[in-house]
Amino acid sequence: MRTLTTRGTRVTFAALATGIALVAAGCGSAGKPIEPAPVGAAGRPLPANAEVPAKSAGGGGAADASCDTRSTAPTGTSVTAGSTMAKIKSRGQLIAGVDQTTYLFGFRNPTTGELEGFDIDMVKQIAKAIFGTDQGTIRYRAIPSSQRIPVLKNHEVDVVVRTMSITCDRLKDINFSSKYYVAGQRVLVNKNSPAKKLGDLGGKKVCATKSSTSLPRIAAEAAKPVPVAVDNWSDCLVMLQQGQVDAVSTDDVILAGMAAQDPTLQVVGDRFSTENYGIGIPKDQTDMVGFVNSVLDTVRAGPWRDSYNSWLTGKLPPADPPQGEYK
Amino acid sequence: MTSTATRTGSPGGTESPPADSRSGLAGLLDLPAAAVRGIARSAAKTPGRLSVIAVGLVLLSLLTGLVGTIVIGDRKDTINDLIDHREPLAAASQQVYRSLSDADATAASAFLSIGTEPPELRQRYDTDIAQAGAALAKAASDSAGVDDAAAQVAVLSQQLPVYTGVVETARANNRLGYPAGGAYLREASELMRSKILPAAQDLYRIDTERLAEEQDDATAVPWFTTLLVLALVAALVVTQVYLTRRTNRVLNIGLVVATGAVVLALLWGAVAVVVQGVLVGNGADDGSKQVDQLVRARIAALQARTDETLTLVARGEGGAYEKDFMVLASALAKTDGTGGLLGEAKDMTAGQDSAAHVEAAIKDAKAWFAAHGEVRKRDDTGDYNGAVTLAIDPKAEGSAAAAFTRLDGNLVAAIDVGRQAFLDATRGADRALTLLAPGFAVLAVVAAAGVTMGIRERLREYR
Repeated sequence: MRTLTTRGTRVTFAALATGIALVAAGCGSAGKPIEPAPVGAAGRPLPANAEVPAKSAGGGGAADASCDTRSTAPTGTSVTAGSTMAKIKSRGQLIAGVDQTTYLFGFRNPTTGELEGFDIDMVKQIAKAIFGTDQGTIRYRAIPSSQRIPVLKNHEVDVVVRTMSITCDRLKDINFSSKYYVAGQRVLVNKNSPAKKLGDLGGKKVCATKSSTSLPRIAAEAAKPVPVAVDNWSDCLVMLQQGQVDAVSTDDVILAGMAAQDPTLQVVGDRFSTENYGIGIPKDQTDMVGFVNSVLDTVRAGPWRDSYNSWLTGKLPPADPPQGEYK
Repeated sequence: MTSTATRTGSPGGTESPPADSRSGLAGLLDLPAAAVRGIARSAAKTPGRLSVIAVGLVLLSLLTGLVGTIVIGDRKDTINDLIDHREPLAAASQQVYRSLSDADATAASAFLSIGTEPPELRQRYDTDIAQAGAALAKAASDSAGVDDAAAQVAVLSQQLPVYTGVVETARANNRLGYPAGGAYLREASELMRSKILPAAQDLYRIDTERLAEEQDDATAVPWFTTLLVLALVAALVVTQVYLTRRTNRVLNIGLVVATGAVVLALLWGAVAVVVQGVLVGNGADDGSKQVDQLVRARIAALQARTDETLTLVARGEGGAYEKDFMVLASALAKTDGTGGLLGEAKDMTAGQDSAAHVEAAIKDAKAWFAAHGEVRKRDDTGDYNGAVTLAIDPKAEGSAAAAFTRLDGNLVAAIDVGRQAFLDATRGADRALTLLAPGFAVLAVVAAAGVTMGIRERLREYR
């Protein structure tokens, strides 16, 4: 009887233990396997100071008719004593604010290390007129779009030749030469993009530089594209190639330079603005404006076409130098 | 023998407990109480008391031996960890920073150079990236469990491939003569400076702090063990006094042997731990702390060098970089070469093997700052190409590149001396503890055996 009870107890215990083991093994959450590579979304880096979307769509204003955009009449290419040109001459160098990132207009040629382009040709012509040569007489200062007005106001440079449109807004702060090139805003997209004009890019990201005239026009488009602002035009190309924007919209000459660097891109749509490029000169140096306008007159007579041929022919339709309009 | 002694102490007089009435769990719970009652009863008489004392002393000896052996073994592990992990990791994270920063400056230099990229710059960049990758793998191997370090390692290991990708895109565009190359290079540099280098710097800081913490651990006084050993010595002495009074015999060989063993363990342990602590401290003062100072100087120099190059890449819009250079340069050393991180390093290393390297580094810094002044002068007066040559061509007369390379080389030499000093001192600390852990255990067992034999001899006299 006693043996039986003991055996019974043992059996009960065994059953109990088995039950506990089974229940403990079977129930309760085991948690999840450890994630081997806990990475969220990875993305390409952004260019320095890129704003997505643009914090302010303020730009250089449009080429409106609210003011007289004609320049001071040419005053000849002689360097008169006491003039701004004489000061530059005695300094030994013309300080020019330029772009080193915009292919065809102002860019650093990696094979030579020199700055080249249509705008750079203009700077060289001015230096030639002052010094008789452009060798060692120019000090280039590469500036982002947003610094074009400030460097002139602070007299850090003598001229700014950097795809800069003559606008009434800018005329309040600086002087402009007569127009030396006429461009117009268009749109650059991937060849496989369905967009054919800015109006097709509603809700899509469209890139332009800060303080450019292109940025407010993107923001003003009725289809409401999202403006993205960067420091330099080549940053727009980088973002387009990295898939961070859907299009770049600015002057056709700048877009042609980008398309020339990447055959998978194309410029689409019609020109929807007229940009008259002028050379920026500090507000208080009107003598320089007359001098530069004379230089530009000589340029229109011949060198302009040489520059156009070496940089733009084949990438843009043939064009003639724009005639200067003076007050 | 313990049970024998207890039986001798309680000769049958008490009635046996009612075992049948209490059984199972209640009986089990009753056992300790019964034992305590038994011990108390037997302790009332001398033989019983002796047995209790013997058991107590044996237990205390064994406990002391166990704790001491574990504590000493632990400390030896800590010291070995310093040598095998902590210091190499701090060095690895320093290497990650250096390689990446140098890669950034080299990529910018290559961009500035005209025409085909100079093969030595290409080689240098490739080596930098390879070293950064290898050092990162090393640094990552130990970041598990340290969330801060793991987060930095994650940033580094995710962004480094992205960085190299962007640099290669820049290179391809450059080869084609497209200015997009310059834009990609600026983007890569921005990524490096805003994300990658801060992570590398944080990782270095974390690893250096962990090294210092573990050095503190390895020099802390083992209070608990010390107290245990002292208590054991006291207990042995008191027991001997008690026995002398009870038995009128002056010496008990067993207890004397036990006391001798414990005192020997105490002296050996004290000397070894003090020497070990001093050596670990030396490893920190003459080694890792100097290395940290020199590494911070090196990081400042690398950052300034990148600023110098990027000022030229920006070509006129580099005012912010130049300002940054000035700040870093004065943090490194004043223009006359005194004070700053290098001046402090000079004070720290005075009279040591690395002093010559540090002094040479200060001279190089002076030469570099002078060359930088000339670079800025050339650039500011329009001689851009002359400025570039002076900045990046190591063969040019009095070039910034050559002075910087010499400075970096001297800092590396001083860092290597400091690392060796750390290793020598810390290895010495490890050797100071040689055999101490097993020795401590053996001595504790000897003490326990001595106690047992000594007291058993006395107990025999009561039979």
